[in-house]
Amino acid sequence: MATLGNKSDQEIRELLDEYGIKHGPIVNTTRALYEKKLREAMAKNNVTKPSPDKTFYREEQEEVTYVTYRTPVMSAGPSGDGKPYMRSRPEYSERDFVDDKLYSRSRPEYSSRRQYVDEPHVYNTPSSSSYSKPTPVVKSGGGVVEEEKTESSGRLIPLWIQFLVFLIVAGFLYFIFINMESAESSPFNRIQ
Amino acid sequence: MSSTSQKHKEFVAEPMGEKPVNALAGIGEVLGKRLEEKGFDKAYVVLGQFLVLKKDEELFRDWLKDTCGANVKQQGDCYGCLREWCDSFL
Repeated sequence: MATLGNKSDQEIRELLDEYGIKHGPIVNTTRALYEKKLREAMAKNNVTKPSPDKTFYREEQEEVTYVTYRTPVMSAGPSGDGKPYMRSRPEYSERDFVDDKLYSRSRPEYSSRRQYVDEPHVYNTPSSSSYSKPTPVVKSGGGVVEEEKTESSGRLIPLWIQFLVFLIVAGFLYFIFINMESAESSPFNRIQ
Repeated sequence: MSSTSQKHKEFVAEPMGEKPVNALAGIGEVLGKRLEEKGFDKAYVVLGQFLVLKKDEELFRDWLKDTCGANVKQQGDCYGCLREWCDSFL
């Protein structure tokens, strides 16, 4: 990756347009901001670009570990089912990007919403460095879901916490129900 | 309708003139000091930056966060304050 610091203002401007980043003039006070945005956009692009090859490979066998990619793309399903999601969530695998299209399509919208949060990239790099793939759970759209879950994009409270709270409340109600006094015996017995 | 602070109301009520940078809503002592260290010692300099970023909310928020470490609320307050000031006086 070419060092952005050496590029001229015009080149920075062209790169910003290339990545579709909305921007104003490149002034000394705005330059650092735009360079940062470009770096983020480049990192994001690097991640999605090579994936098309890998998806073919993945379909043949699922137990493949890729060490090259930084993003922990998880093949967890869309958030409909909690169980497989919860199982696969802690175990990041370096599977290839199952649905790179899904991933890359939602990524722009995802990152644009969260552009002032630097976590996605900080998060991606370290977490993917040493994970292998444990479970054969294969679902599509995993990477997107994973990112969104960990960054809680669009959700203030992570999904798994919501499920947990729901289970706790349900369990509590059940407990109350069980401990209710049985109404089998009539309360209207004559007092002797 | 979100409530605006007293600081916001005072700022948008009149031309900013030579007001210091911590007259901006969302910018307190700590953030103000950080901005001054970076050269943004008056509110109008931050206004300049706001305008150079084409009054874009996201860009301005990002810039503010990078420059002085403002959190989301502070970013929003400052942006809202400047935008409203511009609506009235620019």
